[in-house]
Amino acid sequence: MTFVHVLATEFLKLRRAKVTWLSLTALSIGPLAIALMMWIVREPGRAAKLGLLGTKANLSGLTATWPSYFSMLTLMVGMGGMLLLSFIVAYIFGREYTEGTAKNLLALPVGRHWFALAKLVVAAVWWALLVVAVLVEALVLGAALRLPDFSATLAVRGVHDALLAAAIAYLLVPVVAWIALLGRGYLPPLGFALAMLALGDVFSHTGWAPWFPWSIVPLFIGAIGQRVTTVAPGSVVVLALTFLAGTAATIAQLRWADNAQ
Amino acid sequence: MSAESAVATHALTKRYRDVLAVDALDLDVRRGEIYGFLGRNGAGKTTTIRMLLGLIRPTGGDLEVLGRGVRPGASDAFAHVGYLVETATAYANLTVRENLDIQRRLTRAPRTAVGEVIELLRLGELADRRAGVLSLGNKQRLSLARALLHRPRLLILDEPTNALDPAGIVEIRELLRSRAGEQGVTVFVSSHILGEIAQLVDRVGIMHEGHLLEELDRGRLRAAEREFVDVAVSEPQRAATILAAAGFARVERIDGRLRIFDAQKRVPELARALVGAGLDLTELTPAHEDLEAHFLRLTGGVE
Repeated sequence: MTFVHVLATEFLKLRRAKVTWLSLTALSIGPLAIALMMWIVREPGRAAKLGLLGTKANLSGLTATWPSYFSMLTLMVGMGGMLLLSFIVAYIFGREYTEGTAKNLLALPVGRHWFALAKLVVAAVWWALLVVAVLVEALVLGAALRLPDFSATLAVRGVHDALLAAAIAYLLVPVVAWIALLGRGYLPPLGFALAMLALGDVFSHTGWAPWFPWSIVPLFIGAIGQRVTTVAPGSVVVLALTFLAGTAATIAQLRWADNAQ
Repeated sequence: MSAESAVATHALTKRYRDVLAVDALDLDVRRGEIYGFLGRNGAGKTTTIRMLLGLIRPTGGDLEVLGRGVRPGASDAFAHVGYLVETATAYANLTVRENLDIQRRLTRAPRTAVGEVIELLRLGELADRRAGVLSLGNKQRLSLARALLHRPRLLILDEPTNALDPAGIVEIRELLRSRAGEQGVTVFVSSHILGEIAQLVDRVGIMHEGHLLEELDRGRLRAAEREFVDVAVSEPQRAATILAAAGFARVERIDGRLRIFDAQKRVPELARALVGAGLDLTELTPAHEDLEAHFLRLTGGVE
């Protein structure tokens, strides 16, 4: 019951929070941009007349088809997701320090680990709703564009890949949360997330991509190297350990560390 | 640590690398009393309060709150504790009522508690206003409401009257008195407003550089303990020796003068002792040391 109460308060804290709408706006721009590129590729003449980026879009080797559309969507959810999720987690955890409210939570008849877990659940629900909303938006836009080569199998596979990319991105979240608690604010976790993305890119060139958590999403969605169709067992272990270690570190930080604010 | 203690510490110590913030502090705050915790900035008051609330870990020593040991992350000690640490804070995007509802859910207080505490702290007109637009004084009221919401048995308040106007200060003082007097709530309150503390507390502890310098109960706060006579006299060193020999137990030299405590009823005797020894007595002023002067004297005067 304690967890339910804490979870309810964590959701209540999002009421009137502009960040929720900002995150939806940020992610929903993705499918719009992809749909626009598809339209430009399909209608280069009309796009050129309108002064849009016809030439560049044509040069990128894109085809205006559902397979291509889904591929870009997965890329957007995976890469954009890793960054956006870091913003969301930085906000959920960091705001308690930035707004000075952390101290109000720590001497209550509630175990501190419940706050850490509830915040991670809020991040998961927030992220899931965003991804579902954006996938619905993407499907509607794709249908409106009347892209060719659609099949139910393709749609299931496309949605599956996007959801899996979103889920993998989520597994990296607890480490970012721990950094937010350690750094007591928004900036350290955002800096950390950007650094890890950059490091993930570096690892992708060394052959270590399947073993470095922040390289696994890009590898899976084809942002680096040859796109893999399944996540390797070794990578699953790395992701699971990253998630568990991040969650344990987040709880330990909240429970044991000095919380002088 | 006695069962009658609401707050008890033994050799409580906090060290930050080379800085000894709190040094072997022994505190015993009895249930139902209002205990004032005085000290300059950096004296160790807030560090002590943070340790009492489990926000920071002591380097050494023991502490109990309402008979339960406080350990890092231990939550069972705080079921009956309301607190306010330093600045008043709240979720800016939520209304006053929503902020209090969070506290209600986390402390399992009844639904009616929010309305009651809004009325108690006179927050009715602001109840549906976002906390982010409140004045500092009203934010302070909101924080006090949060501390009082679940009817705690112990209130730990760090500078509770910060940002309140004079009427608000009196109102909160009366509120805390009534909680202590009528409901037996223990109040552990730190403040730098010394006059305010003197009017509110049953007992005061004075912290300086991590040490508890002195504890005074209400009687000693107001009694002859801090009555004194200031004298300007030639040869102050010799005068101090003469007065000590004449039975004046507490004589201090302050800026070339002598301050003689417990002497207000012995002024003629004091004057005779000095003049009779051939000293020139140029000024003799009976006075009363208020808490502020006492505090400043103990902690080294005005910086």
